Amino acid sequence: METPYQPIAGTVERSIRVSEKERLFSVIPSDPTLLKYRPGQFYMVGLPGYGEAPISITSGPGEALIELCVRAVGNLTNALHSLRKGDKIWLRGPFGRGFDLEELEGKDLVFVAGGIGIVPMRSLLKAVLGRREKFGRLTLIYGSRSPDELLFSEEMDGWRAAGMDVKLTVDRAEPLWKGNVGVVTTLIPKVEVAQKNTVGVIIGPPVMYRFVILSLNAKGLGPEDIFVSLERRMKCGLGKCGHCQINSLYICQCGPVFRMSELKGMVEAI
Amino acid sequence: MGNVNDFKFLSERGFQGLVKGLLKELKVYGTIVKDGFPAFGEISAPEELVLSSTPTHLSAKEFFFPQREVLLKFNIKTAAFSPVIESVDQAIIGMHPCDIRALSLMDRVFAAGTPDPNYLSRRSKTLIIGSDCMPDDYCFCKSLGNSEAESGFDIFLHALGKGFLVRTGSDKGRAALLKYAKLRAPSTKEFREFQGLCLKRDSSFKAKVDAPPAELPSIYAKSDESKVWQKIGAICTGCGSCNNVCPTCYCFDVKDEVKASLAEGERVRNWDGCTLEDFAKVAGGHNFRKTRAERLRHRFNRKFRYLSSTFDSLFCVGCGRCSRACLVKINIVEVTNELVSECHNK
Ligand SMILES: Cc1cc2nc3c(=O)[nH]c(=O)nc-3n(C[C@H](O)[C@H](O)[C@H](O)COP(=O)(O)OP(=O)(O)OC[C@H]3O[C@@H](n4cnc5c(N)ncnc54)[C@H](O)[C@@H]3O)c2cc1C
Ligand code: SF4
Ligand code: SF4
Ligand code: FES
Repeated sequence: METPYQPIAGTVERSIRVSEKERLFSVIPSDPTLLKYRPGQFYMVGLPGYGEAPISITSGPGEALIELCVRAVGNLTNALHSLRKGDKIWLRGPFGRGFDLEELEGKDLVFVAGGIGIVPMRSLLKAVLGRREKFGRLTLIYGSRSPDELLFSEEMDGWRAAGMDVKLTVDRAEPLWKGNVGVVTTLIPKVEVAQKNTVGVIIGPPVMYRFVILSLNAKGLGPEDIFVSLERRMKCGLGKCGHCQINSLYICQCGPVFRMSELKGMVEAI
Repeated sequence: MGNVNDFKFLSERGFQGLVKGLLKELKVYGTIVKDGFPAFGEISAPEELVLSSTPTHLSAKEFFFPQREVLLKFNIKTAAFSPVIESVDQAIIGMHPCDIRALSLMDRVFAAGTPDPNYLSRRSKTLIIGSDCMPDDYCFCKSLGNSEAESGFDIFLHALGKGFLVRTGSDKGRAALLKYAKLRAPSTKEFREFQGLCLKRDSSFKAKVDAPPAELPSIYAKSDESKVWQKIGAICTGCGSCNNVCPTCYCFDVKDEVKASLAEGERVRNWDGCTLEDFAKVAGGHNFRKTRAERLRHRFNRKFRYLSSTFDSLFCVGCGRCSRACLVKINIVEVTNELVSECHNK
């Protein structure tokens, strides 16, 4: 009999260290249907003996590989860091409903990413930049603790060239850093916003949301104009284990991407 | 209470014969006495059964959704996972109306969205034999509209002084009775005795929720900021017993267990509880429900509000198990009634 817990094997095609704590993997799944995903979705990624964890898709839709970027924080994620080209990795998914690009078409977009929030955001950025003409002004505000924790910095020039304003900031400056110092919210007032037609997208650590939402509100963006991707503990991806629940929503299935207006009245959401 | 034609009479000996027959074919679990308290356990002879009038400490959920269950076996060397879906033909004897109602909710949960083959295969191989009860100080199923089991069982037994009135709820139940039990129409006297017992039971409920069940979701929705949560959060020890004993708590954890050989292992699911501290904690240490007050608010809302929009039903069946099990005497009826009165005084 079939079980939804059965993972699908994938082969690691590339494993590169991208910062002190993060590694980027390119994975070829043995079942090509796993390649059908939307930005904002995730897989339950696992290894026998180490369990599973939700990991976001960081590649763009339509690519022939799945890219995953993993921060080593515990049992499984440290074990994943030992994977090299040719090794097996196990996937279930993709889960969640992710971003609906059509909803964003014709809008000016302000992307706000904090820390490894850039990982799922990158999938969305690639999708948007791949159809650049469909969107208005694009701005990415991305912050990390220190300059060497900034991920995908070698790709930023390409993103700028493709027509996106990229603003970086770090909490802690180092001697060679010439950019902005301070949390991401310090950059938001500097963004020009056409009130009626701008959508904000926020992905970052739990503490970040409240402040960024307030700054975007100050720019005239309301609950209909702000999307967030929420992190929760997840053990199944199937809407059953209960770990990811906020009120009547199971984040693994209904999310992790939400329009703020969908979270109205949910005291634990943000 | 029903119509006399819905019932058949089964003698005590006839019941023993039924159980003996079932024992030949299936694993049989039923209510027994364990450490002086009613509990579900496996039986090997009909005499071991003690049909209990009060609820068991643990519910019957473990027979469908065991506390620990293997989902997959894996071999680390050959890098292969294989599914494990274990189920045997079984009968559960002595489930009360609240337990049967809870089971029908669990059926919907595990069949919804992506169906859970482990639960569903056990469920499809189970014969449910319900039995009557007498409420204790904690039972409040009546005020939630759950005190009668209309469906969800294969056979239902109403114990009389001698023998039983029997209702059948499915073809499976009918077939088992046909095979192993001699039934006859009940006498007027027997039916009167049954009616008397029903009335006695019906008037014995002490605990009750002070609002119609249909209003409870909106009462809870207005109570996020109630002081009740701080009050009970201050005394809750976060032990998770209320989750364990509840027949409709189904949250779980999944983890890998590796054999000493380091070559093989199992992916295992275990009951988990939303009142436990780490339940909503993520990497980086952020806990989305840091305080016991928040965790209890979540648990109570799950029973009376959150799941009701998805499944169109309350998820508390009124068995009172969580209140009975709580060492610091947090009582679900008292908590709910405090919210009801706060709402009515607003
Ligand atoms: C939708 C989603 C997308 C994510 N995407 C990424 C990503 O792209 N890259 C990345 O590096 N991380 C991502 N994470 C976080 C990642 O899932 C956790 O870092 C991972 O679960 C830690 O597992 P571990 O076994 O290494 O740690 P453990 O040894 O299990 O524990 C370390 C910490 O993680 C917490 N934790 C345990 N299990 C989970 C769980 N299932 N979900 C969340 N926290 C848990 C524990 O409470 C503990 O604090 C994502 C999380 C979610 C919910
Ligand atoms: S919440 Fe308490 S009273 Fe309600 S079904 Fe669960 S254990 Fe029984
Ligand atoms: S049984 Fe009582 S003390 Fe234990 S977690 Fe539940 S409410 Fe808290
Ligand atoms: S991860 Fe299990 S319910 Fe969402």
